[in-house]
Amino acid sequence: MTSPLIEVRGLVKAFGRFRALDGLDLVVEPGEVHGFLGPNGAGKSTTIRVLLGLLRKDAGEVRLLGGDPWADAAGLHRRLAYVPGDVSLWPNLSGGEIVDLLIRMRGADPAASRREELIERFSLDPTKRGRAYSKGNRQKVALVAALATDPDLLILDEPTSGLDPLMEQVFNDCVAEQTARGATVLLSSHILSEVERLVDRVTIIREGRVVESGSLGSLRHLHRTKVVATVTGPPPELTGIDGVHDVAVAGDQVSCSVEPDVLPRVLRALTDAGVTALTSTPPSLEELFLDAYRDRAGARR
Amino acid sequence: MSATGWTLLLRLGLRRDRVLAPAGIGVLVLMSIASAAATPSLYDGPAERIHAAEAINASPAIVALYGPILDVTSEGELAMTKMTVLYAVFAAVLFVAVVRRHTRVEEETGRTELIGGTAVGRDAPLVAAGVEALLLAGVLGVLTALGNVIGGLDAGGSVAFGLLWGGSALVAAGIGLLTAQLSASARTCAGFAAGAIGVLFVLRAVGDTGPQWVSWLSPLGWNTQVRAYGDTRWWLLLAYPLLALALAGGAVLLRSRRDLGAGLLATRPGPATGSPRLADAFSLAVKVHATTLLLWSVAAAALGVVFGMIAPGVGDLLDNATAQSIIDELGGALVSAILSIVAVVLTYFAATVVGHTARDETDGRVEIVLATGVSRTRWFAATAVLALAGTAWLLVVTGVGLWVGYVAADGPGIGNLVTAALAWVPAAWVVGALAALCLALGARWAALVWVWPAAFLTLSLLGDLLDLPGWLTGLSPYAHVPLLPAASWDWGSAGGLTAVAVVLLGVAWWRFRARDIG
Repeated sequence: MTSPLIEVRGLVKAFGRFRALDGLDLVVEPGEVHGFLGPNGAGKSTTIRVLLGLLRKDAGEVRLLGGDPWADAAGLHRRLAYVPGDVSLWPNLSGGEIVDLLIRMRGADPAASRREELIERFSLDPTKRGRAYSKGNRQKVALVAALATDPDLLILDEPTSGLDPLMEQVFNDCVAEQTARGATVLLSSHILSEVERLVDRVTIIREGRVVESGSLGSLRHLHRTKVVATVTGPPPELTGIDGVHDVAVAGDQVSCSVEPDVLPRVLRALTDAGVTALTSTPPSLEELFLDAYRDRAGARR
Repeated sequence: MSATGWTLLLRLGLRRDRVLAPAGIGVLVLMSIASAAATPSLYDGPAERIHAAEAINASPAIVALYGPILDVTSEGELAMTKMTVLYAVFAAVLFVAVVRRHTRVEEETGRTELIGGTAVGRDAPLVAAGVEALLLAGVLGVLTALGNVIGGLDAGGSVAFGLLWGGSALVAAGIGLLTAQLSASARTCAGFAAGAIGVLFVLRAVGDTGPQWVSWLSPLGWNTQVRAYGDTRWWLLLAYPLLALALAGGAVLLRSRRDLGAGLLATRPGPATGSPRLADAFSLAVKVHATTLLLWSVAAAALGVVFGMIAPGVGDLLDNATAQSIIDELGGALVSAILSIVAVVLTYFAATVVGHTARDETDGRVEIVLATGVSRTRWFAATAVLALAGTAWLLVVTGVGLWVGYVAADGPGIGNLVTAALAWVPAAWVVGALAALCLALGARWAALVWVWPAAFLTLSLLGDLLDLPGWLTGLSPYAHVPLLPAASWDWGSAGGLTAVAVVLLGVAWWRFRARDIG
């Protein structure tokens, strides 16, 4: 039995009177890709900063790579790579210089790393100055520096927020390669669908506390699809079906959120009603939370 | 030209400057009032006052620093000796800073882009900054004129003096607007502006001590030539707004020829790979500040050589006891007078380095570095060492420059000018360490790093003028520096100041290790 790479228990961090983290738990096992989800302002970045020893915890226990991130930050950091959500670069250094600098600061040798290959794959121009890069390109600089070496742990804070779909695919491939060689990844995001193809387990937080945690399979109820359809005939009766929520009919338009098991049944009903337009979107985390809270409140009653 | 929405930006600018502008203008006006009010008590009657003015004119060194007194019978001209040129330079720095803050800095941070997406014209930031400078220059002029009248100087001269200060501020704003167009980097733009002001100051110093027409090339030379409290050249006051308008017009023209965020000087592509030497916090700090340090070094050397060449003129006066005492009243012998100001200015290099590290933190770059194998101690040490070593280096460069100039001008004997410059190092270190302590308390306290040197300079100057108690003026580290070469090296003060700096740095390091980052 190997010990977790990240182990956070009852973490509390307050800024003045505001409790950004309020008894948060997070466990990341070796070799897994762990999705760290939450809406904006939930405390994801704060947790990561405590994990990196940038912020001092007020209470709770934090273990990173088996050590104390506050006491031995620099030593532990040689074994991990970090990409912040909002990358800021030195305006007068070139992208290539920054990549090499960050690799060297982690104690690795850029010449022996995969930097060339990654610069190519992310189609990054390494001769541009830091001030000239767009948000997505700044993110690429940090990603290349992080993925070029073989760290034990990758901490990625909303790493794809500035990337286009093509680059997002490159990023997904790179993460898969990292995990294939045994790396552990903590991947934060505010969109479940963005990370669900990559992650093994997720922890969902809200207002500094854990709302849900477990394997993707165990969170089936989060896999609802929001369906909006326009029908020609009379709208089908969906409210009675177990697993269909939030049914709303407005004129010839029907909307509802559907659990995976009953999706075929709903689609059949819509087809029978003469569907002319159909959109299905994964629900936002906020919608899921609304569901989760309402369901829980309902169950208690 | 499209300046739609500039009034909104002007209000935003005034709101953002609600502390900086009143504080800067307040200190300048206060200094002027203090100088005006203190002068009568310094001299026993007109005869002694005229003698003092003549003594100043007879010393090329003092003239090079402050400019000549064109009307020796005028009380106001004597009272404003330091104010006319030297303090106009401080006003100029303030106005360049204000203008740059609302133009190039905003562009570099991307906030201009945010504004540009709204219904605001392309030239609106430039126009708003220019109009704000005009308003502030007006306030500075009016308050200075009023202040000097309150200080006991005659009204007509005070109006002229207020106008010439306001005019200098306007020209500085014009320089700020124009230089802000040149480079995509706000720091490079600041370097250009500082260089321009430095050249104007040296032109005036050369003209005032040599061929007089050279002084007329510099607006700072006009400050003396206006003869505010003598036979005033009112027409010359028109030259300031005209020059400022030309500079601002040039800025608008340059703005129309470049893209948002770009400079006129094209950015060259950088290397695709990093040098193996660029591998830790120290080499990063050196790399980031190398150009700045080089420019500062050139400026310090040039200033040193120019004043070193003027310095031998002091020797002619040494047999005249009265004149010597008057020169002492003006801030000691030339070298110490220059060094007392240069040391404060060079301390701003330390402030720049520390302020830059604070920006690294608020922008999120420190987060990236501290997430690697770089420890907090190394990061902090890199900043502190570069700040303090850089300032010491610049003082040495100034000292060597003084010595070279002095030797080149066949000065009598070879003075211990390098030692004289070194004497200021411990005091500059204390102020640099105070800046580091501000950083250690939190990035939001780092704005204070810009305040310390100016505050201590103001304190010592006010102390002279108002005869403040010794314990109060003694709060300034600069007050404990022996005035070499006239005085001799004092191990006690050097050791004491260095010890204070070390203690401050120790406390700062201890705090920085224990606080939250970002």
